[in-house]
Amino acid sequence: MTEVLTQGFLISLLAGAIRTSVPILLTALGDIFTQRAGILNLGLEGIMLMGALGGFVGAYFTGSLWLGVLLAMLIGVLFSLIMAFLSVTVKANQVIAGTALTILGTGLSAYLYRSIFGVQKLPPQIEAFPAIKIPLLGDLPFWGPVLFEHNILVYLTLVLVFVTYFVMEKTTFGLSVRAVGEHPRAADAKGINVQLVRYICVMIGGALAGLGGAFLSIGFMNTFLDQMVAGRGFIAVAVVIFARWNPYRALGAALLFGGASALQLRLQAMGVPVPHQFLLAMPYILTILVLLSVSKKAQFPAAYTVPYSRAER
Amino acid sequence: MLSSTGFFKKTLVSIAPSIITISLAILASALLLLLTGQDPVEAFQTLFWGAFGSTHRIAETLVKATPLMIMALGTSIAFKSQLWNIGGDGQFTLGAIFAMTVALNFSALPNMLLLPLSFVAAFLGGALWGGLAGVFRAKFNANEVITTLMLNYVAVHLLSWVVRGPLIDPKGHGFPQTPLLDEALKLPILLSGTRLHLGIIIGVLIILAGYLFWRSTLGFRIRLMGEGHHVARYSGIEISPTIVLIMVISAGLAGVAGWTEVFGIHYRLMDDITAGYGSLAIVVALLGNLNPLGIGISSFFFAALIVGGSTMQRMVGVPFSLVSVIQGLVIIFVISRVIYTQWRDRRDGSINPGVSNKSTGRSY
Repeated sequence: MTEVLTQGFLISLLAGAIRTSVPILLTALGDIFTQRAGILNLGLEGIMLMGALGGFVGAYFTGSLWLGVLLAMLIGVLFSLIMAFLSVTVKANQVIAGTALTILGTGLSAYLYRSIFGVQKLPPQIEAFPAIKIPLLGDLPFWGPVLFEHNILVYLTLVLVFVTYFVMEKTTFGLSVRAVGEHPRAADAKGINVQLVRYICVMIGGALAGLGGAFLSIGFMNTFLDQMVAGRGFIAVAVVIFARWNPYRALGAALLFGGASALQLRLQAMGVPVPHQFLLAMPYILTILVLLSVSKKAQFPAAYTVPYSRAER
Repeated sequence: MLSSTGFFKKTLVSIAPSIITISLAILASALLLLLTGQDPVEAFQTLFWGAFGSTHRIAETLVKATPLMIMALGTSIAFKSQLWNIGGDGQFTLGAIFAMTVALNFSALPNMLLLPLSFVAAFLGGALWGGLAGVFRAKFNANEVITTLMLNYVAVHLLSWVVRGPLIDPKGHGFPQTPLLDEALKLPILLSGTRLHLGIIIGVLIILAGYLFWRSTLGFRIRLMGEGHHVARYSGIEISPTIVLIMVISAGLAGVAGWTEVFGIHYRLMDDITAGYGSLAIVVALLGNLNPLGIGISSFFFAALIVGGSTMQRMVGVPFSLVSVIQGLVIIFVISRVIYTQWRDRRDGSINPGVSNKSTGRSY
């Protein structure tokens, strides 16, 4: 087991943890808005799949990765509008609405992929976002390759962590979001349009989940696979609860999951004497443990999953 | 007692919304087919023929309806009490693993004993997986949606290990599957030349038992839970043990569904035995309005959709994933129905156009 302690192993583990955490973190950042506004969006898994497809299709046909990103976010927003409509306007049960959206996204992404590309021996591929080595910092021993040799989306995600914190805590919009999630009636009395704020928050969640999905297909890999999201949308929801709706803690939690996945892959490659299926199950077991540890004392937004209607008392 | 015409009228009124829902979902997917350059008429004709075109095909549809109705009944019990058990796939898998472990390890026992024993093991396997999520919810307030989902993924990997490790067929050249069941343990075929097996009768019996269940004291307690866990607490129901019990029953049924599938169809374990039944069971339960008869009918409908859907993929090249699209759309239309009710209430000048479940009397 001495090879565990070599520097090369640690570098590849930590850099891998960062890359693997990005799709979860992006989705979680958007979901902080959604959950803070009082909405539990379990459709994120389906939205991420649609984003993964949108990103790939956009990049494949236009030749521009950025247009792929744009398409993914656009599709994410459109798809999340279904969730917003169901949970805010119809006032439907959010668990069921989210489940419907995930089933729809899973089916539709696979259907469209087959319709667009047909059945091919070799799956179509694109050139993914290349890693950019940041000058000077990238030359640091150890930390250089861990932190400063990633693709542009990884750096962008880090910036978004700060942006999310700033918007949530320092702007009037952030204040409105929190008011809507905590006490919609009071927010309404103060002249905040509760339904509009909730629509916007679900759409922000959709845009970032679309981007998170696109990261999988055009940042992390270079192709689209059915089911490639593999539960990350749900894990993102758990990350947000674990992080108690704080972007910095979400960064830590996402890194924890990224670390578990990256470690699992590397332990498999090293041939540790544990069946690899147990290693594969690690991130999911970790999610459960994390939920167990925080759910009892977590202060959920008071109006969490409760639809708002002026007529109701 | 209702008179028979009253019963028919009531049934008709209660299934009309489901029929409209299905029609809308099919219409929307026809649009998708058109947009992707397929012929919707040909596609749906093939689908229908694939599901009902011959005795063999009808039998196949019944075969698929079997695990669906059992699992969806379990789902409905959890949903009625506002517990969102969406871990059917994992519970199905654990049921199948437990049942197979019993069947392969106690083969010395007489078959008359071993078959019922494997049935019980399947229930317990599912119940263990669901009960865990129940305990997590009751003791730790952990959202059961996420825990049951995560347990689904864990179950996939567990099954993958079981068929490659402890239960692998020693004569299977390393192929990831267990040995076949003993001939006498296979559920008897009801119609020779087809795969229609005893499971369908067990499924129908379980649906009937569902009726008795809702009339029992426990059924009543569960419905009280559905009114909100506070209401139940004020009525003197102990919430935590009831949550665990509901999850155990709900998940145990999913385990039984795994048993019918393995002992009636595959006769062995391998990867992918769940075949997406978990999400289908949710749709079936919701479209069936969480009542046993409705579940029986809609399980048949969705079974037809998957049997016909694979014929459609083979014959006219429409991707099978269209079936998932239809599933998703059906749920969306089911929960959007309240929009119509709200609109009607408002038009009729009702004073309370507020929250959906009040104006429709439904619990979700």
